[in-house]
Amino acid sequence: MSEIPLSHILFVSTALFFIGMYGMFTRRNMITMLMSIELMLNSVNINFIAFNKYLFPGNLDGLFFTIFIITIAAAEAAVAIAIIINLYRNHKSIDVEEADALKH
Amino acid sequence: MSQYLFYILSLLTAFSAMMVVFSRKPVYSVLYMIFCFFTIAGHYILLNAQFLAAVHVIVYSGAIMVLFLYVIMMLNLNKESEPHKSNIAKTAAVVSGGLLLMVLVSVFKSADGLAINPAFDSQIGMVEVLGMVLYEKYLLPFEVSALLFLTAMIGATMLGKKEGGAQS
Amino acid sequence: MNILIAITAVGVLAMLSEILNFRRFLYPISLFVMLVALALTGMEWSHGVRYFNDMLYMDNYAVVFTGIMVVTTLLWFMMNENFLNGNPRQADFTAIISFALGGAMVMAGFSDLIMLFLGVEILSISMYVLAASNKSEPRSNEAGFKYFLMGAFASGFLLFGIALVYGATGSFNLREISEFVSENNTDMSAIFYGGVLMIAAGLAFKVAAAPFHFWAPDVYEGSPTPFTAFMSTVVKTAAFAAFLRLFSTCFSEVSTWWSPVLAIMSALSMLVGSIMALRQTSLKRLLAWSGVANAGYMLMAVVSLNEYSDTALVLYAAAYSIASIGIFTLVSNMTNAGNEEISSLHGFSKVNRFPALVITVLMFSIAGIPPLAGFFGKYAIFAGALKDGFVWLAVVAVLSSAISVFYYLKVVVAMFQPAGREAVQLEFNPGQSLVLGLVLVLVVVLGLVPALITTLI
Repeated sequence: MSEIPLSHILFVSTALFFIGMYGMFTRRNMITMLMSIELMLNSVNINFIAFNKYLFPGNLDGLFFTIFIITIAAAEAAVAIAIIINLYRNHKSIDVEEADALKH
Repeated sequence: MSQYLFYILSLLTAFSAMMVVFSRKPVYSVLYMIFCFFTIAGHYILLNAQFLAAVHVIVYSGAIMVLFLYVIMMLNLNKESEPHKSNIAKTAAVVSGGLLLMVLVSVFKSADGLAINPAFDSQIGMVEVLGMVLYEKYLLPFEVSALLFLTAMIGATMLGKKEGGAQS
Repeated sequence: MNILIAITAVGVLAMLSEILNFRRFLYPISLFVMLVALALTGMEWSHGVRYFNDMLYMDNYAVVFTGIMVVTTLLWFMMNENFLNGNPRQADFTAIISFALGGAMVMAGFSDLIMLFLGVEILSISMYVLAASNKSEPRSNEAGFKYFLMGAFASGFLLFGIALVYGATGSFNLREISEFVSENNTDMSAIFYGGVLMIAAGLAFKVAAAPFHFWAPDVYEGSPTPFTAFMSTVVKTAAFAAFLRLFSTCFSEVSTWWSPVLAIMSALSMLVGSIMALRQTSLKRLLAWSGVANAGYMLMAVVSLNEYSDTALVLYAAAYSIASIGIFTLVSNMTNAGNEEISSLHGFSKVNRFPALVITVLMFSIAGIPPLAGFFGKYAIFAGALKDGFVWLAVVAVLSSAISVFYYLKVVVAMFQPAGREAVQLEFNPGQSLVLGLVLVLVVVLGLVPALITTLI
């Protein structure tokens, strides 16, 4: 494992982060936008674990941060799904561009 | 050996993540997402975090993604939606994201200069060690995250239950 | 620590009240426990205890900010007596608000980045839910979803930043990070700087500073008015308390790197906020944009990091929260009457003499007219910026607060104009009148003796 440079793992996580960001900006389907956010959070998790393993193998801080992120992402997803279902009841659609009652 | 595994996994991760974003049908997105999560769990195992890999698969693939699939099924949302917003939003996203990406990649190039600590303890990602630290050092965050779950639970049930249906 | 227990006790009691059927007493109980929490906050003062392996550090900074937020929440409860009592979802709202206050307290007192993250998430998740809580109203749903999307996006940035800072320093503890930074501040790796900037971007999203403010007006307008009031007071105060705490303890040694970026954000927020607020006809939306401008002022305290930024931010946040709660009492009555337009206020002063007087004083305070509390808050912040050499920023701030006088006065003028045909009757219940009275006293007293709060830190 030590043959793989740290920067390569970080590149993978950065790629995930930006794929997620791209999805959030370009997709109109709310479920897909939610999944893009999950992608971003996962890229952060890989970062934490990689730093933990490569630079500070003596302590477990990065690992614990990741566990908290995973659990909180689950709670957040539940709330988001509840909001999306409510929106669907009112709009009969989960397209963000059809939810446009609020305009500048 | 693990080197090849890492590069194959990375390719698969990137590919499936892109398919999540580009698939037109939400169900395909969810399935690719589950695949993506499994490859990420593979990364965790390579990084010597076995417990985390298990938690990740259970929570993400087992709970969150099943929830998504369930919602898509229940609301019958698997319509092929026109997947893109206006071109302006797209170009803006690509340009700003690309700039930030370039900055980050150049930042990460310097990461190889950081002092890499070669100490290796195969037990460190195991449950016993984790439990000890979680209930000693991380006791308060653990309790506070319980507060967060309570909030999320009340919130989700409040949004979910029928208006005026639950009153006495 | 006891404060956190007392605050969450309200939430747990609220849930029990549904099961054990003492919902009638929930409102007085929650007021009482909030008062207890306030007393506990007072007892925590000047002890400076570090709880649980330095996860939470209740220094005076944290105690004073917690005090401001508890008082604001108490006023919030008093102002929403009619909204809460008898509402079938009273228990849910009470529980979520009190948990949100717990999260806000964690954000003011965190001493470890994991606590910062948890505090931010508790506060955000409760606000997503409350913003979307008016289920039959599409605008409320939309506000909730927009808030969620932007909030989760911002959390992603914040987390990425935290990951990079961890990679560079190897710790989440504020003390250890600041020690590491002061030992190695000449040769920090590029990862650290990237992390600091991403944390700044994530927190700027949360405080709605330009150019990350675009969600704020929609969310504030779409949410039910009581929760908009909570967002623009407690949430904003908590976010800034966390912002200043993190940047002043950890990153002050490398401030030459990030302060220009934050200075530009601050100037942009002030200008965009005031100019957009000028064009609004709805009072709720006007307050949302003025919230963006105020985020700019408070960001100045973070930019001009010196020994006075703590007191300046405390004074400003206290003055702003108190005045906003008072103004939102008016807005929530307007929402109940079904018209949030400023023009619907014509003739208001004829019917409601006392509220009109109080709102006028509050508008003067928030616009920064001496000798009220808001003036001294602004003065302290502007003086700090000048002292630190950000002359151009202070000039922009003065310019923007000159613009702000126009739109705040627009509301005052509307109240004192003779009634047209569309005038609506607004009724203030005793609780709301009491809130207005208390707010008036606080604004005047803090204006006359700002040392009351600034010497506490």
